[in-house]
Amino acid sequence: MMDNKTFIVAGLIIAILIGFIAVFMASSDPDGLESTALVIQGEKSLTGVTPPDAEVQETLEDTFSYESLMPDYSLGEEWGALGGIIAIIVGTILAFLVVIGLAYAVKMGAKTNQ
Amino acid sequence: MHIPDAFIPIWQGAIYWIIALIFIALALRWAKNELNEEKLPLVAVLAAAIFAIQSFNLPVSMGTSGHLVGGALVAIILGSPFAAVFILTMVLIVQAVIFGDGGIVTLGANIINMGVIGGFVGFYTFKGLMAGTKSMPVSAFVAAWLACVIPALAASVELFLAGMFPLVEGMIAMGTYHALIGVIEGIITVAAIYLIMKARPDLVDQGVYSVKGAAPV
Repeated sequence: MMDNKTFIVAGLIIAILIGFIAVFMASSDPDGLESTALVIQGEKSLTGVTPPDAEVQETLEDTFSYESLMPDYSLGEEWGALGGIIAIIVGTILAFLVVIGLAYAVKMGAKTNQ
Repeated sequence: MHIPDAFIPIWQGAIYWIIALIFIALALRWAKNELNEEKLPLVAVLAAAIFAIQSFNLPVSMGTSGHLVGGALVAIILGSPFAAVFILTMVLIVQAVIFGDGGIVTLGANIINMGVIGGFVGFYTFKGLMAGTKSMPVSAFVAAWLACVIPALAASVELFLAGMFPLVEGMIAMGTYHALIGVIEGIITVAAIYLIMKARPDLVDQGVYSVKGAAPV
């Protein structure tokens, strides 16, 4: 059986490897939600392929908009695949740290309340 | 099925946030009571792995792609739907804030769909099917498939209320695409359970091994 340290290292390496492969091999087709929006807006048929220029129209008013740090898991065109890899590594490690941090925070809170 | 900010008006997003916060509070209570030094690495590694796997969009035909969400996987492995709420909330926050995947105002709705509905549907379907079939792969596959399809249908109702999708057309399209994407969810969930059972059998909830142990003690 793996000890905790090996499990964490192995888990993070597998996660980052999956993300690394994803940068090069992930499908660029829209996800189920975007596909549905394209079908409803008449840009694609239910079972047909998605035209390369298909784009979801933003039809609603009173919505919020926000510019994220690394939109679409990239650092922009000029960074190319390297930007994608950096984004995936940052995200994977951040997800790990956020959960560790929050778990410790709630545990610490639990201790001080006792 | 991450709903972007442009798809839901702010006031409706606020309502989903309030509902989501109730479940987040319950998930934090779960973390406080259930997480110990032994389990913490698994929980954190699961969060990292789910983030990475979610970036891997696989083609599912019909001009559409999809990826694992992971609500059923987390709930089954850790033996509680609140584990899914806890981990998916954190993953969704990182995705929305840093990478603009899903929205900020719509984050509440996304947490409800993928964390809460995905976690509860996944956990209780698994528990029920384990009692009936005694087969982990069959139970986990069906649980994960439903934990992809039901949240997608919930999202289509939310987007109908938002004025974005017509109800029936939206549900048909969302249901069709996520019935395909759910197969990915099922396969990866079963494979990941096997993998974790092999690496650290002690960290996997007893419900995965036996029907009797499925009841929370």
